[in-house]
Amino acid sequence: MADAWVIETTDLRKTYDGTEALRGLTLQVPAGSVFGFLGKNGAGKTTTIKVLLGMVRPTGGDARVFGLAADAQPASVEIRRRTGFVSEDKDLFDYMDVETMIRFTAAFYPRWSRDLERRYLRKFDLPLDRKVKALSRGMRTKLALLVALCRGAELLVLDEPTSGLDPAMTEEVLQALVSHVAGEQMTVFFSSHQIAEVEQIADRVAIVDRGRVVVAGALDDLRESYRRIQLVFDREAPQPAFRAPGVVRVRRDRRVITVLSSAGAEAIVDEARALGPTSVDVVPVALKEIFLETVVGED
Amino acid sequence: MLWYKSWLDTRWRFLIGLALLVLAAFGIVLYYPEVVKLLPLVPSIDTSSGLGRRIKEAAELQRTYGGYIFSQWFGQTPTQIGTLFAVLLGSGGAVSQGAPLFTLSLPVSRNRLFAVRAAAGLAEWLVLALVPSLLIPLLSPAVGQTYGIGSALVHATCLFVVGAVFFSLALLLSTVFTDFWRPLLLACAAAFVLGLAELLARDLSRYGLFTLMRGEVYFRTGALPWQGLLVSAALSVSMLYGAAMNLARRDF
Repeated sequence: MADAWVIETTDLRKTYDGTEALRGLTLQVPAGSVFGFLGKNGAGKTTTIKVLLGMVRPTGGDARVFGLAADAQPASVEIRRRTGFVSEDKDLFDYMDVETMIRFTAAFYPRWSRDLERRYLRKFDLPLDRKVKALSRGMRTKLALLVALCRGAELLVLDEPTSGLDPAMTEEVLQALVSHVAGEQMTVFFSSHQIAEVEQIADRVAIVDRGRVVVAGALDDLRESYRRIQLVFDREAPQPAFRAPGVVRVRRDRRVITVLSSAGAEAIVDEARALGPTSVDVVPVALKEIFLETVVGED
Repeated sequence: MLWYKSWLDTRWRFLIGLALLVLAAFGIVLYYPEVVKLLPLVPSIDTSSGLGRRIKEAAELQRTYGGYIFSQWFGQTPTQIGTLFAVLLGSGGAVSQGAPLFTLSLPVSRNRLFAVRAAAGLAEWLVLALVPSLLIPLLSPAVGQTYGIGSALVHATCLFVVGAVFFSLALLLSTVFTDFWRPLLLACAAAFVLGLAELLARDLSRYGLFTLMRGEVYFRTGALPWQGLLVSAALSVSMLYGAAMNLARRDF
């Protein structure tokens, strides 16, 4: 099964000057998935990506990409050979023009596809002779995406790929990504704090908070298993103490108790009925709610 | 392609340095006839004060063309401007400049990134040290003088080897600081303090880096300062090694 994970981290830790950026992050990204790595700013998304690509050395734990140790020097080079990366700031060489930037990058990747390059140059309408520093934010993102997509990578790692883009440009970038992935055998691992874009393109998701994964799974499974159970009483709601597994969070507000469950909603409802509520409602939960309850709720 | 990137990173510093040093070499050689006209005034310089004595010593040095070239060229211009450009070429380092995350995402080890950057910078510094110095023997016939290519090569070697110490220092500091300016300013400050110390402690100046850089021992005795050159080279190698280790360990 281990070979099926393109990315696998176990109890990954990273401390910067006494501040814990990663606190035992455990994550598995299956081959062929579009994996959304969701979290607030400062949750540890970028640090995780940097560890995976050998830019940051972990303080503890294990990080593997393609089964190779990310913190071992020769293995890290091999990981980067098989990976396309777009950083949050769309790091590119400002002093190069678009064509030089493309040729420079292509020189490092024997599997570089000139056909894809031509296709994306047309699609993105990138001016070959313009300096990178003169490109708009959107054009810069497109160029960063082009040099990541054309290298024949098996894994695409994108750190907040649409940050700073307007909605139209965001849609264009996401569509390009979706259509590329549909035509290639590749895994996409992208970080974001935009729930809508994760829902739009990801098939699996992990929510990270304060350096730990708090929720992970297939998006459809999460939608299927997470439920919000609302109990309304004709008196002050009693202090609940649910024993059934799957209770994520319980809120009590005067005559109402709200339970967020990750699994086994039926057992929780059975237990709740014993409290004597006047009504019990079970409703599906959107990813946004799961995110807000598991991340913001912990503040 | 990494060589090409290193060239793009540093080309303006290199080209400006080369242009300045070449222009200075032209100027110094072509100005020699004017200096010759002033030489008859040397005996009239008042030597009762320390300053007068030093001016007279400097002027006496210029009675020969070799002395003039030493005092005006190897003793001054490339040592001062050259040190600045050696530091400039080392500043910025292998990764900090431009797009560090993009550079680090390439399938290249940090050691290779560093080796290419260091080698490209040293090659540029070698050209800065060599080309203007070799122009001196080529231009000298234009003012009716000759200057040995061998002497120019020895002085250029001293300049290169000692300049490489400042280059390596800047490169080392660039693996400690993430910006361009702090390594540049700190390495320049270190060079300034060393230069000042040599000026103030004249008894010890024969051990100084700038005395070695000028090739003063070679000029006065004709002997190559092997020990000084070896120590300087060892110093550069240790700093480059330290920089490579630092870069390999650093988080970005």
